[in-house]
Amino acid sequence: MTPMPVLEIEDLSGGYNLNRPVLHDIGLKVMPGEMVGLIGLNGAGKSTTMKHILGLMNPQKGEIRVDGTTRSQNLEQYQGALAFVPESPLLYEEMTVREHLEFTARAYGVERNRYEERSAELSRMFRMEDKMDSLSIHLSKGMKQKVMIMCAFVARPKLYIIDEPFLGLDPLGIRSLLDFLMKLRSEGASILLSSHILSTIENYCDRFVVLHRGRIIKQGTLDEIAAAAGMPGQPLEQIFYSLVQDGE
Amino acid sequence: MIMDLKQLRSRRSGTFWGGILPYLGYVLQSGVAFLFLFCLIAFAAWYTAFIRHLPEGLPIRWISLALLAPFAAAGGFRTYLQPPDTVFLLPQEARMRQYFAPAWRGAIIRKYMIQAIILLTLWPLYMAAEQSPKPLGLTALLLAALSLLLSWGSWRELTLVSRRSAYGCLLLRWAISFLAVAAWLWHPSGRALLFIAVLAAAYAAALRFPPRYAVPWEVLISAEKAQAARVMMVLGWFVEVPGRAQRVHTRRWLARAGERIPWEPQQAYRYLLTKSYVRSDMFMIILRAGVVGALLAWLSGGNMLGSAVYLFFVFVIGVQLSELRRVHSESFWLNVYPLPQGSRRRSAVRLVFRIQLWAAALMSLAFIPSLLDGRIAETALTLAGGLAVTALQRVYAGRKGKDEEDEDEE
Repeated sequence: MTPMPVLEIEDLSGGYNLNRPVLHDIGLKVMPGEMVGLIGLNGAGKSTTMKHILGLMNPQKGEIRVDGTTRSQNLEQYQGALAFVPESPLLYEEMTVREHLEFTARAYGVERNRYEERSAELSRMFRMEDKMDSLSIHLSKGMKQKVMIMCAFVARPKLYIIDEPFLGLDPLGIRSLLDFLMKLRSEGASILLSSHILSTIENYCDRFVVLHRGRIIKQGTLDEIAAAAGMPGQPLEQIFYSLVQDGE
Repeated sequence: MIMDLKQLRSRRSGTFWGGILPYLGYVLQSGVAFLFLFCLIAFAAWYTAFIRHLPEGLPIRWISLALLAPFAAAGGFRTYLQPPDTVFLLPQEARMRQYFAPAWRGAIIRKYMIQAIILLTLWPLYMAAEQSPKPLGLTALLLAALSLLLSWGSWRELTLVSRRSAYGCLLLRWAISFLAVAAWLWHPSGRALLFIAVLAAAYAAALRFPPRYAVPWEVLISAEKAQAARVMMVLGWFVEVPGRAQRVHTRRWLARAGERIPWEPQQAYRYLLTKSYVRSDMFMIILRAGVVGALLAWLSGGNMLGSAVYLFFVFVIGVQLSELRRVHSESFWLNVYPLPQGSRRRSAVRLVFRIQLWAAALMSLAFIPSLLDGRIAETALTLAGGLAVTALQRVYAGRKGKDEEDEDEE
């Protein structure tokens, strides 16, 4: 039996203005245990796609299912099945790192002992142990980004939506993040990740979705995209460059 | 072309207050003008009666000290600086004196106006209760000079490189204010003036030593954020205003607040709100309102006026706390996290109710002397009134929250 996709977007069109949609007929799936790279130039529609998945924007057309349900069918199940890491850290200034993790765990219904274990593991992995009781306003940008990532990971949902996670992270932080993503993937979690650092994600993602001017111009494994672009064996960066040049 | 910094500041000030102006109509419509007038009349009646029947041994010097010293010490400059200024105005640093001059002037004028109101209100009581009163003119002059010095000191604090030194200077400023006003109230004029002059010279000299920034950009931007948030907070008592930046206080002694909240998604928002509350400006505002309310109720001798004061403060605390319902109204995460439907509204209403109930209970301590005097029925009635005000405000908040939720769903 084919497993059900954790994220399924069908025929999605949407944007800020009804007359000028940013996204056109987007269709993609993320299967359990799969990591998909969403790539595109600035303004291609990556963040807008993510906002639609999160429910911050309503589709003008099409449907989005997370864990087999739409937002209107079962909001709590939909939201409980996904965690988001934004491009810029969005933290409550009045809360410490520990309190952010605790609030997230409470909201996602993570058991207390599980939370304690995960929190200890994440703080060790991201080298934040001595910052756990610091207010978020006293953290550097990179540390704030780590808190965002830790919050998503403490929840352990089925799907992770991750927007430009490497911005502001130090090399050790990037390594920790990628290692942890691999671990989650091997445990069956699904990840939709957008990044401009193609050389890094090339080695980690199972498939790629290339967005250009609000449309998917190619999607598939690296080999499939390379073949479709007529550039077999080439690195992702070269293929992407060629695809968006052709799309101009 | 040279940038006109004075005009820039004036434009920013205009933009800020221009943004506030449209809300004022709604504030008046909310009945605040009527309530304010009512409070003014009630206070005038209470005050007149209080002066006519002064209690024996009223600690008038302590009361005067408590009312006059804080307003002389208080700082507060509106610079309207914004984060991008660290890039765009930085090249103008040497000329920023032009930009800040109106901020200094404005702060002094505001301070003088508030002081004049406090002094003129206090004076009849002071004259009635003090056996050897100081002349009004000289007192006003002294307060004006002291305010000027301490405003200069307050600005100086903002410019200090070390935040620890700045905190030390803040304590010093408040100590100087209380010492100077106390010296004036308790000692003969000549000796008091001499003492205050020496104190002022020592204070001015002390502030010259710590290293300073020419323009403390980050401190000023953060102070401006806090000042603007305060204005919006007051406005938020009466009308819905867009999300406001709050000042954050570490308050390590309250770090454990909220930890005993049940560990379940239904209560997750209560956890967030509790943390936000204990580290907000509002926490201290409620605490101060509670202390002032209890003090005034106690000073009124637990009679009808005392009951009215008590009920009024319970109500005001409820109004202030209603701001908590809006604290995270535009929070990104609350639209993403799987919080159970309706749990935000329920958590906010319950938390406000609990805090208000605690405040009402603590303020009721002011009626212990009345109980000891055997006025049990009056006291019980007053406390029941406090409970009723709290319950009514809870019902109102619950209904309002439900209506807002229904509107959002539509």
